[in-house]
Amino acid sequence: MIKVKNLTKVFNGLTAVKDVSFETRAGEIFGLLGPNGAGKTTTIRVIATVLQPTSGTAEVAGFDIIKQPEDVRRNIGVLTAEIGLYDRFTARENMRYFGHLYRMEGEALEKRIEYLIEALDMGRFADRRAGQFSTGMKQKVAIARSIIHDPKVIIFDEPTAGLDVLASQTVIAFMRKAREQGNLVVLSTHDMAHAQKLCDRVAIMHRSRLVALDTQERLLQQTNTRNLEDAFLQIVGEDAAKLVEHEREEQHLAGIKKKRRFGL
Amino acid sequence: MKESLIVFAKEIKDSLRDRRTLVTAVLMPIFLMPVIMIGTFKMQEVQMKKSEAQIPKIAFNIQADAPMLVNFLKNDKKYVVVADQTSDSAKAMMEKGDLNVYLEVAPTFEKMVSQGNPAEVKVYHKSSITDSVTAFQKVTIALQEFNQRTAVARLAQKNVPPAILTAILPTPVDFATAQERGGYFIGFLLPMFIVLFAIVGGMYIAIDVSAGEKERKTLEALLLTPASRFTIVTGKFLAVAATASTTIILSLFSLYAAFKFFPPNFGTGGEFIISLTPKAISIMLGVGVIMAIMFSGLLLSVAIFAKSYKEAQNYITPFYLLAILPVSIVSSIPGFKPTLPFFMIPGVNGVFVVKEVLLSQYDTTHILVTLGSLLVFAVIAIFIATKIYSREGVLFRD
Repeated sequence: MIKVKNLTKVFNGLTAVKDVSFETRAGEIFGLLGPNGAGKTTTIRVIATVLQPTSGTAEVAGFDIIKQPEDVRRNIGVLTAEIGLYDRFTARENMRYFGHLYRMEGEALEKRIEYLIEALDMGRFADRRAGQFSTGMKQKVAIARSIIHDPKVIIFDEPTAGLDVLASQTVIAFMRKAREQGNLVVLSTHDMAHAQKLCDRVAIMHRSRLVALDTQERLLQQTNTRNLEDAFLQIVGEDAAKLVEHEREEQHLAGIKKKRRFGL
Repeated sequence: MKESLIVFAKEIKDSLRDRRTLVTAVLMPIFLMPVIMIGTFKMQEVQMKKSEAQIPKIAFNIQADAPMLVNFLKNDKKYVVVADQTSDSAKAMMEKGDLNVYLEVAPTFEKMVSQGNPAEVKVYHKSSITDSVTAFQKVTIALQEFNQRTAVARLAQKNVPPAILTAILPTPVDFATAQERGGYFIGFLLPMFIVLFAIVGGMYIAIDVSAGEKERKTLEALLLTPASRFTIVTGKFLAVAATASTTIILSLFSLYAAFKFFPPNFGTGGEFIISLTPKAISIMLGVGVIMAIMFSGLLLSVAIFAKSYKEAQNYITPFYLLAILPVSIVSSIPGFKPTLPFFMIPGVNGVFVVKEVLLSQYDTTHILVTLGSLLVFAVIAIFIATKIYSREGVLFRD
């Protein structure tokens, strides 16, 4: 369903994604794991055609991201890490607007909206303006919005961030249901414990590269560990992990300096 | 292009629910434009009546040295002659407004006048105080009248007819109609307001659909839909342009209605009449709407660089000043004769065309050059906005 081939993305001389390749298939939950800043979100953005790859390419449901970006977008549903809604629109209106942009109309669209309101348990606030919503409520609407067109490929970037246990359960149940229906679900998260419960196969990203790609069982077996977190540390080495953290902190500071220089 | 219309409809609906857009784009032009225009005229009217009714307060250094002149001024009920002052005390009183003009005569004044010699009278006034200036003008006229009367009396003594003093008799004939005089008056303010509303009308919605979309974090979700960036920008641009145009249309119609139902006639006997003909209004509409469209594109290009509302306002303020300053400067210079190149500068050209139209001077070349220039700039602005929207760095600046 998704075929990523030697994908590289460079921003202003900074390599965010380097030579990443992997393949996923329908009916699985695929984990894209790694610490913050490893390049997961950039990878997703390139796959979803929001960003242009520097080199390499990818295919989504048989469509090439460079040659057929609009077909790719029609077949993919992405929940972005940063969720935002139109505050002056109700939950239903938010969903309807995106439905229209996916060329859905009339009764088919209204039925789909009604189904999602049921599935994500949004009945109590579906007709209230999003400005008053809690993080959990917003997250549910954002999820519904991202899959309004019933895509075959679903990518969720940190879908349970900021959610309480109960709301998380709703989202998790939804992902499992999507897998049962034969869709591909890509779960991108830094929370390895969370991923361990859900994912069939995982790809681990570290410093813009893919460092592991396998089923969970085999990964744990190879590294002789009990959970994905330990497996990750085993693969990249604890010292290296710390080094990356330091690098990231420095980059952040440098970024601030740069912003000041160019900010008006 | 269907997606553009979807985006357009959404942005309009969204901004209709936003009080800020409603206030700046709808309420302000409807009420502010007529209130400011008619208010300015009322104020000028009041000011003119006030200065006409003002009775200048005059003081002499020594009234006893000029009894004839003092009597002449006192008999004319339009002046008040107050107690004698030294030049220093007179100056102090003029600063406070207790005195408007101070006349200083020499001790030999009366003698020289009666002997038929020119006698000097110094007329102290302060040109930085409006009341003093008006009083000075009135006193000067009174002194000339005194001069004439004295001259007529002297000629009569010598049996010479006074008409001999008048060689020519200039008779001014002003053939400007009351409407044209009104148009000249309104030409100082109205054109600037049209440019102002062309910018302000679209300002909030331009920020809302660009920087606002980033601030709310909805931009990425929007870019993830199959709609292309070009169609998204087009939809947003249409929404901004429609709002700005609505502002212009509402403000002009509200002004038209205000002048139709409450025509401000002032001056003695209706010297100024403000009436806007449908032809004038339609040319102003055309220029105003195209100007609004052009500024919409520019606003959209500027605001997309910002991450938040606040930042966008920071970017737009200098842009706004840059657009409005030349406009307010050229529109406040009286009698400035623009050459053809001035009609190519966006904003400024609008001011001149509207000014001409208000004076019923319909110069086809000027109107066409203005419309052409505004259209070209509008296309450039839309093109720039589209280019900026396809730049990754601008969209994901975090």
